[in-house]
Amino acid sequence: MKKGWIILSIIVALVILCGIGVIKTLNGMIGMDEGVKASWSQVLNQYQRRSDLIPNLVQTVKGYASHEQETLSAVIEARANATKTVVSPEMLSNVAAIQAFQKNQSALSSALSRLMAVSERYPDLKANQNFLDLQSQLEGTENRIAVARKDYIDSVKAFNTRIRKIPTIWIVRLFSDMEPKASFDIEPEAQVAPTVSF
Amino acid sequence: MKKYVLFLAQVFFIFAYTLSVRGELIFPKLTGPIVDEAGLLSPEMEEELQQKIQSIKQAQVVVALPKSLQGQEIEEYGYQLGRSWGIGQKETDNGLLLIIAPTERRVRIEVGYGLEGVMTDARSAQIIRRLTPFLKEGNYNQALLSGLTDIETTLKGSDLPAINPATALKTGSATDSTGIFALIIFGIIGFLYIMSHPKGYRAQAVLDLVLLLLSIIGRGRGGKGGDDHFQGGGGSFGGGGASGRF
Repeated sequence: MKKGWIILSIIVALVILCGIGVIKTLNGMIGMDEGVKASWSQVLNQYQRRSDLIPNLVQTVKGYASHEQETLSAVIEARANATKTVVSPEMLSNVAAIQAFQKNQSALSSALSRLMAVSERYPDLKANQNFLDLQSQLEGTENRIAVARKDYIDSVKAFNTRIRKIPTIWIVRLFSDMEPKASFDIEPEAQVAPTVSF
Repeated sequence: MKKYVLFLAQVFFIFAYTLSVRGELIFPKLTGPIVDEAGLLSPEMEEELQQKIQSIKQAQVVVALPKSLQGQEIEEYGYQLGRSWGIGQKETDNGLLLIIAPTERRVRIEVGYGLEGVMTDARSAQIIRRLTPFLKEGNYNQALLSGLTDIETTLKGSDLPAINPATALKTGSATDSTGIFALIIFGIIGFLYIMSHPKGYRAQAVLDLVLLLLSIIGRGRGGKGGDDHFQGGGGSFGGGGASGRF
């Protein structure tokens, strides 16, 4: 009789301990999941910010360089494509969605950089205060995008490393529908090592 | 003692090396509102710039003159420096960095999240354009003065939460008076020390004192890096601002 009580209380203690472990693990993963979602929202914000700058920019360039119609409409088209691809924070485990998003946004990036390169040929445009302001806003936004993307990549890396570990993976599979998240590929220009000059 | 220093230096270099191999940046220590790692400013100028910075109440402004960007772009370096130092208040993210990299000839204004509405990219770029002519002449003082004045004007353009005085620009004016006080006491003791020697030995006593003084100054210099009166409030940065070349 006494022996049975001891065994029973050991079992109960073990169950309680396991329960605490499961709850802690799940809470940790939920916290990280929210972190990834927040950093994704930041990515979306910054891309949206860029998208919002474009109509003004196109209008300004058009005033000085009207015969660059082809470059201008390429930007408008790329923007329309990019805004069509929406990836909500709930879709982050969908690799294909992230890849499509990335593809459309980088198409817009290259259309924009062509536009900025073309603008170099128009001294009047380059001297225009409005254009200068838009140019610096665009540069600032591109930089914000880079920072937001890097933060997102870092948070996904941390999340995926944690979720793939044992026993976290078992707990997560049993008690939640969380899955590893998709990250960005590093874009070609970012892969080139920075040149060091002495 | 010497061995000990050598050992520490070795440890430091190994540590720095492993960090650099991992591709992480090593930032100078945040010693005050002006971190002149490159050593471009005279003490008088630094004093003047500090007063200028102290008059800006809407943000925590820090000027950084790094020796090297360690092979990174100034945009990469800038936001990471801001985050690492935690410039600005945690709640309002009202930090602002003015970075001049003399080696790479790049300049940047890095704007904390909370200031992006007032210090827009366009305005930051304007400020950069206005100060680069001075940088091209090599006149770092004038460039910084121009930049800080413009920053102040911009920030005054709108109501912002005032910076918390506890973590604000707390540079000790008190230390100045204690310094003078210590000097006077040292002078009196020194005079008594010299006078306590017989006439023929007084020259030796003066030499002793000079050596002692030099060693104290040397130690003071070394310890200055540990001055933790000045610190960031945990503000964060998201890459806002503008950069330029000179």
